[in-house]
Amino acid sequence: MHKIESKNVELYYGSFHALKGINMTIEKNTVTALIGPSGCGKSTFLRLFNRMNDLIDGVRIEGSCLIDGKDIYSKEVRIEELRKRVGMVFQKPNPFPKTIFENVAYGLRVNGISHATFIEERVERSLKQAALWDEVKDKLKKSAMELSGGQQQRLCIARALAIEPSVILMDEPASALDPISTAKIEELIYELKSQYTIMIVTHNMQQAGRVSDTTAFFYLGELVEYDSTKKIFTNPTEIRTQNYITGRFG
Amino acid sequence: MTHLDAELKKLKIDMLEMFGLVLSQLNKSKNALVQFDKDLAREVLVNEKRVNGFELKIDRDCENIIALLNPLAVDLRFVLACMKINSNLERVGDIAEGICQFVLNIKLELEKELLEKTRLIEMFDTSSIILNDVMTAFELEDTRLARSVFKKDEILDEINMNANESVGEFIKTHLDRINQSLYTLSMIRKLERVGDQCKNISEEIIFYIEAKVLKHKPLSQKEDMSGEEN
Amino acid sequence: MDINTRKRLAENTAFWVFRILSLGVIGILFSILGFILSKGIGVVNWDFITKMPEDGMTKGGIYPAIIGTLYLIAGSMLFAFPIGLMSGIYTNEYAKEGFIKRFIKLMTSNLAGIPSIVFGLFGMALFVNGMGFGDSIIAGSLTLGLLVLPIIIRTTEESLKAIDNSFRHASLALGATKLQTIRRVTLPMAMPNIITGLILSIGRVSGETAPILFTVAAYFLPKLPTSMYDQVMALPYHLYVISTSGTNIAESRSMAYGTAVVLILIVLILNLAANALRRYLGKKYKIN
Repeated sequence: MHKIESKNVELYYGSFHALKGINMTIEKNTVTALIGPSGCGKSTFLRLFNRMNDLIDGVRIEGSCLIDGKDIYSKEVRIEELRKRVGMVFQKPNPFPKTIFENVAYGLRVNGISHATFIEERVERSLKQAALWDEVKDKLKKSAMELSGGQQQRLCIARALAIEPSVILMDEPASALDPISTAKIEELIYELKSQYTIMIVTHNMQQAGRVSDTTAFFYLGELVEYDSTKKIFTNPTEIRTQNYITGRFG
Repeated sequence: MTHLDAELKKLKIDMLEMFGLVLSQLNKSKNALVQFDKDLAREVLVNEKRVNGFELKIDRDCENIIALLNPLAVDLRFVLACMKINSNLERVGDIAEGICQFVLNIKLELEKELLEKTRLIEMFDTSSIILNDVMTAFELEDTRLARSVFKKDEILDEINMNANESVGEFIKTHLDRINQSLYTLSMIRKLERVGDQCKNISEEIIFYIEAKVLKHKPLSQKEDMSGEEN
Repeated sequence: MDINTRKRLAENTAFWVFRILSLGVIGILFSILGFILSKGIGVVNWDFITKMPEDGMTKGGIYPAIIGTLYLIAGSMLFAFPIGLMSGIYTNEYAKEGFIKRFIKLMTSNLAGIPSIVFGLFGMALFVNGMGFGDSIIAGSLTLGLLVLPIIIRTTEESLKAIDNSFRHASLALGATKLQTIRRVTLPMAMPNIITGLILSIGRVSGETAPILFTVAAYFLPKLPTSMYDQVMALPYHLYVISTSGTNIAESRSMAYGTAVVLILIVLILNLAANALRRYLGKKYKIN
């Protein structure tokens, strides 16, 4: 069974056909990069899997999206339960204006966990996983807004990890960060894949190369090519893919 | 350890395995010749396919590292050096194969006198030592050891220079051994190439560690450890 | 005159015009305050704010009017703040873009545009007579509440709108419901600005005369209310009364200025308190 699967997914924003018959399967514990020019549908595709597209008025989705073999758009699925299993990291670091501790504990609290020691342990573990613990362990009660951009983004990753998702979606997680912070996030992604299945949208070709096992190239709402990152980056099948990754258009 | 570090480490381990494989091919070809062991010679021919396969694997790994992980500075030089060393090693493997092909072609075991006069065994041993040295230099990133190869190669050159004369002398007295004498001469020519390949490998090692280009430089400059690049 | 000189001249002229006009506004404020204070501060003393009015409101204090105004502020806020907050939350967080949302917004604006005397009449018709509350604190509070409802709705809406969607998405993506997101993230972040709206409404409530005219205000009632169905005196109405239709307008002139000073002080103190609260919340939920 594939970890993630999309079958003939069509998505419309009103009359705009944003995703055209996407078929894709993603295996467990891999990093999949979604690349393509702006407006190609890669972010929309990413947001299918925690149903963030549902927040936009006038979205219509056809086909099916499966995680662990179950259709996440079926009536029985509670959207909050789904989002607990599918974490998300956004383009701009967006910690809540709360303390560092409360940011990480947030997901636990809204999911009804109130046991203090349990929360403390989970916060510490998540911050360690996100390689942030050593930098913040003495100021957990300080506002998250005092952290640097790169630290904030790792905090957001820790926040997503705290509720123990099995899938993590990342929407250009390093595009607003400096090179050093970017490198840290990339290393983090590389390490996290032993425990999570990760999908990452990126505009940065080199980043896709560095972090991902498989790469999907989207263009005008279509999945043009989906293959191992090595194949895509050294010998893509489609001429459109080659033109894009070599920077000849897009 | 970062992703790139992990990949570079893997590449280095693969390179060392390639070194070991080629070195063992070379040693086996010597034994096949000295002991006139045609089975061993055939084994070397079979193993040559492994060497070729390994060469392709390392090439592909280097290509992937460059395409996916964008190594820079010392990392980039390391990957580039590995690609070149890789093809040098493959050549050495070809030489071992060629020698074994000769062993299979020769009808009679080589005369002791011929071996002594041409110093063929010494040549085998020296080239084996040199290859071993560059392997160690590569493993330990020891540029001093890598530089020592340039000097040792002169022994091979000298043996090679004298080979025409010594083989000629041998033929004068052993007219029935012309065939194996000529094979011996060819082997000497091949082993001399091993030394050249090893020198190239040394240059690549120094290139990636010290970022100095030693190609096409006179020996005195190559051996100068402190010398500025000019 | 070269272009650069002309540019600099224009720049300087504009700068000075803007500066003088801005200072002018401050000047107007200070002259009002100065005028009132200089005329009224003399009568303001402890007795003035703690005694009942005497001698046809020409002597004594304004204690019941102060208490009445405070009751009206509290009453109207108790009514308008939760309703305004909830309907602001509804329009910004729940209502989908479309006709209903636009209609609600339009109606809110219209409500804000209705003259306050009309509110007074409406309050009298609905609360005083229709619901049978009579002239009472509750009728007056409800009427004043209606008056400031649009302000509170509007500021709630605007403060919520100012919060970047990425915070909502972050919360929802962690499995929070919409209500949890509002309660734990959006509302706390919007609160400092909503408090600003509250301050504005308090100022409005404490100063309005027309809506309380027919719904609560007593002309002269030298005792404190015992229930929310009682009438009370209120500062703005008291001020109006003793300046226009008192028993002895000339005698009570200084009392009128004193009342104005007290009214201003109450608004000032409430503003300062609300501002402090806003600042405290703002620090707690600071966003860079």
